Amino acid sequence: MISTGINALDQMMGGGIPGGDKVLYSMEPGVNGQFFMISTLSAALKKGLTCLVIMPNTTVDAFRHDAITMRVDKRTLCSNKLVYIDAIDAERIQKGASSKEAKARDWKARIQKICRDRHIDVIFVYFDLLYEEFGLENGLCILESAREERRTTLILEHLNLEGAPLVDRFISEHSFDLVLTIRSSSHPLPPFSYFTLLHTSWAPIPIRSIPFSVQEGQIIPYIPKIVVIGPEKAGKSTFISHASALGHPPVIAGCPEEESASASLDFGRMRWKDFDIMLYGIPGRAEFDTSILPTLRHAMGVVIVIDADDPGMLPRAHYLAGLVAKQRIPFIIAANRKKTPHVMTEKEIRSSLALPREIPLQFISATDRDDVHGVLESLVDYITRIYS
Amino acid sequence: MYSYKTGIAQIDSVSGGFEAGTNILILAPPMSYADQLAYALIKPLQGEYSIVLSTNERAAEVVDNFKVAGADKRFIGVIDAITKSSTPSIADTTRLMFVSSPTDLTGIGIKFSNMIETIFEGDFSDGEAGLFPPPIRFCVNSISTLLMYRRLEVLYQFLHVLTAKLKKIEGVGIYLLNSESFDEKTLSLIKQLMNCVIEVKMENNITYCRIMGIRGVTGEWLKFTVTKGQVVILP
Repeated sequence: MISTGINALDQMMGGGIPGGDKVLYSMEPGVNGQFFMISTLSAALKKGLTCLVIMPNTTVDAFRHDAITMRVDKRTLCSNKLVYIDAIDAERIQKGASSKEAKARDWKARIQKICRDRHIDVIFVYFDLLYEEFGLENGLCILESAREERRTTLILEHLNLEGAPLVDRFISEHSFDLVLTIRSSSHPLPPFSYFTLLHTSWAPIPIRSIPFSVQEGQIIPYIPKIVVIGPEKAGKSTFISHASALGHPPVIAGCPEEESASASLDFGRMRWKDFDIMLYGIPGRAEFDTSILPTLRHAMGVVIVIDADDPGMLPRAHYLAGLVAKQRIPFIIAANRKKTPHVMTEKEIRSSLALPREIPLQFISATDRDDVHGVLESLVDYITRIYS
Repeated sequence: MYSYKTGIAQIDSVSGGFEAGTNILILAPPMSYADQLAYALIKPLQGEYSIVLSTNERAAEVVDNFKVAGADKRFIGVIDAITKSSTPSIADTTRLMFVSSPTDLTGIGIKFSNMIETIFEGDFSDGEAGLFPPPIRFCVNSISTLLMYRRLEVLYQFLHVLTAKLKKIEGVGIYLLNSESFDEKTLSLIKQLMNCVIEVKMENNITYCRIMGIRGVTGEWLKFTVTKGQVVILP
């Protein structure tokens, strides 16, 4: 397996990219997705693999400089495990060949020679100019020629100006094993970038989209806003304080803790499997209902916490679930057991809340960190499926 | 909706300036001072921002052009597609960003998005606040150079994305294209992406322009010159 250098992505794929596979990183214009290729290259070099980078639109020096600004170790970029074909080589081929066929032959010969002489394990290709010059079929044929003797891993980055039909062709006509699209969206937040694991050939992994930010040269998948709501005294503040590494229910001076927690917004932040997750809690009292819709704005998911021992709060929970469903935001029910055994069954709760089967419901103790993280894990999983 | 003043009375008095979201093609022969006209039209006024994608001049030269015209450089960003080929280690700053060459549409798109994002986040102008939402004037100098490196169809798709983005953020875009170096098909395809075309011609060392596509502005040829970043229509 070759790591992408992004733990969350590797885990989604079952450990990374199987050696010998063909990978496409398809980028929408304007989206800062160059880190995926660089991060994978860096991981391959760290693993001791020999890599060829084909980059017809830039020089080795410029590439190295850019990669260093993306936190790739300078020594690995200059190591003898890394071979380049850059803009200067591309220009030589361009000038030296009299026809398109001759150019294609030159490209093939050059790549084949490097792969044979240097025992290349992974070929990284910035594919735009090859695609423009030779088209998809012939462009890929040039690269495939280097894989005839040995099943070298092939990783392409491509600026996709043609949308989904082009990506489909990589999958259906050219049997790419992994296709990851990198795009941006203004829904449900102001513009944000996300990647979609669109296709994997080696395992039936569901299509998933994950927002990400680039922080200190690393891709950080993130869930920017999860809102926690529920009837009063269901355990929301406890839930957030046990979910979060940094957050806590705020305490208002002069108020008993329990009272202040039920009268103010909670905030929490947690890091889970490389995900950065922000939690916002709304007090359960009806007088705070006016703040629910504004807080739900831009939320990517909602946890509705209910007290599993108190059937009396189900009508209120039903009302809140309806409010969230109307906003088309994915949600999950966390049924908090304050005493054991809990008095309501899953069936009773689902029936009272008119919950469809696909909406997750989990019994937890809000004071148990593992339970709380389990709920968020299920919600993140649910979100990444829903937004795909 | 915001109107971008042009300093050309024939436009400003009729429509108040370029409407937000307008994309304008300047179609001009070589050596007709069309770049001066473009820079005059994208010079940021009080509270506005400008971004130039330069495929012909280095970032420092672009900024100098604006300084001479009296613009505040804190509100000007340049995406330079020239310098990095000779100085690979040149580093990006908030307002000056570099891509390896005019072929690098991926890099151009990313730097453009980064600059827009920085402007919207209020981190562009060393703490100086502009208007919000920020009015942004954007210039591509020039499409002719980009066409030397990339195929027309590819560039058309790329410009389609850029012009749409500018419309979305209610900016204004100005694109320079040499009218003598390309065939009709190229010109008409690029025109499809624009709301307005300014044609420039030179006769007896006098420059003329005519403005097409703005309601209420007649398409007559106007003599003009550019002085200190200001378009002056001559009698």
